[in-house]
Amino acid sequence: MKHPEWGYLIIVYLFLGGLSAGAFFVSALATLLQRNGDTPAYTRVARLGAMLAPWPVIIGSTLLIFDLGRWYHFWKLFMHFRWTSPMSIGSWLLIAFTLITLAYLWAWLSAEEREKAFFRLPRYLASLNRDFSAHRRQIALLGMPVSIGVGIYTGVLLGAVQSRPFWNTNLVAQMFLFSALSSGCAAVTLLLAFRRKDYDACSFQLLYTLDICLLALEFFIVVPYIVHGELSVQAVKDSLALILGGPFTVIFWLFFLGLGLLLPLVIEAFETLPAWMSQAGAVHYRTSVAAVTALLVLAGGFLLRYIFVFAGQMSAFR
Amino acid sequence: MAVHQKRYVLVIDSRKCIDCKACVVACRAENSVPLGESRNWINEERRGEWPKLLAAFEPEQCHHCESPACVRVCPTGASYQRPDGIVAVNEAECVGCRYCIIACPFDARFFREDKGVVEKCDFCAHRVDCGELPACVETCPSKVRVFGDINDPSGKVRELLEKRRYRTRKPEAGTGPQIYYLL
Repeated sequence: MKHPEWGYLIIVYLFLGGLSAGAFFVSALATLLQRNGDTPAYTRVARLGAMLAPWPVIIGSTLLIFDLGRWYHFWKLFMHFRWTSPMSIGSWLLIAFTLITLAYLWAWLSAEEREKAFFRLPRYLASLNRDFSAHRRQIALLGMPVSIGVGIYTGVLLGAVQSRPFWNTNLVAQMFLFSALSSGCAAVTLLLAFRRKDYDACSFQLLYTLDICLLALEFFIVVPYIVHGELSVQAVKDSLALILGGPFTVIFWLFFLGLGLLLPLVIEAFETLPAWMSQAGAVHYRTSVAAVTALLVLAGGFLLRYIFVFAGQMSAFR
Repeated sequence: MAVHQKRYVLVIDSRKCIDCKACVVACRAENSVPLGESRNWINEERRGEWPKLLAAFEPEQCHHCESPACVRVCPTGASYQRPDGIVAVNEAECVGCRYCIIACPFDARFFREDKGVVEKCDFCAHRVDCGELPACVETCPSKVRVFGDINDPSGKVRELLEKRRYRTRKPEAGTGPQIYYLL
């Protein structure tokens, strides 16, 4: 292509959409995990995730609309459903996901917070102030597959384009999914790290463990992506040259894989190692380390999308 | 005469091409293509030094593929394929997401900033529907281009493809391109 058609708006959207999907996924998981019958074990993580989830995806979808050539025609996306177009599937998923995250947020608000939200609205709307808090688990259960759908669709959107060898492999979708879930996890960790007053070792333990799994999965998708690509046909090999000596080499290996994936993976493993090794369970997590690690993961997630969006558009059959 | 479904294709004898670009100009005039963009173009290959040299020209435009990737990825159905094989854009339905531009292996589409929609070669469907030839075909002074129905057993296109060897560009992309380059 002469010049990239998709630029920063799309990259930021892919990042924010994935982040929301991840935040919801983590929160839903924390809601569903219960200790001794019916006490949620990770209320703090669940609530923070629920408070965060709707906003990035709303901002991201707005960016997406303004990236359109005719943003005022965006409603036409919802006049059709075309199952062969990942973008059409994605638009519907985004609508469903945004509504679910808003309902979920509402379910996690306290009675006073809901009261505050309705305080400024006309009185006849007060009857809409319903208490969903009993349905948190149901909404979490319903939203979980949708959040995974949103997370994976961003990768499918790129992977389903047969003319761009850099994208057109069966690993990009999973790479984006695990990166999305991991950035959501990191965003929740970051919020938690800033709330030092109610420090809770259990929450950090959960988020670190989850993020280690997600980053490890992502790493073991990135590796076969490159190995398989190098063993594939010439067009794929040529496209991989973009990150193997080409313009995206340093940003991919040093900034994405090194600083955005492996370094946080090592830090998180190092932080959680004492908890895994000891029986005591009273491990103190440094919030500053948690914040820095989370920022590294978020930067890595953003860079992955930056590299893929631009490098993918540069790749082509010759 | 048996009734058959028409399937328009373009046969290009690129060895006759002299790079005069009349096809590009004719298309621009016929379809009001803005300057700086083009629905068709001429690929140029030059190598060697005189007297051992090569200068080859190969006109290209939308290949009106059998299974067009652009049509598949379009979220609104604005990009569509007519029963006669012509791939076109319904401007009214296009939201300007530019997914089709990225999906096209031939980079045959462009984004039209002034209208906010995607534009491409449609084999001059408005002319073809009146029984005329596409503007690029009609104007070509060295008769590089042969436009016609590949399903017509007595047509010129069929005759050329039966008697001559040909290739298509980037068949490995899997879209089934329908511009045939004679060898």
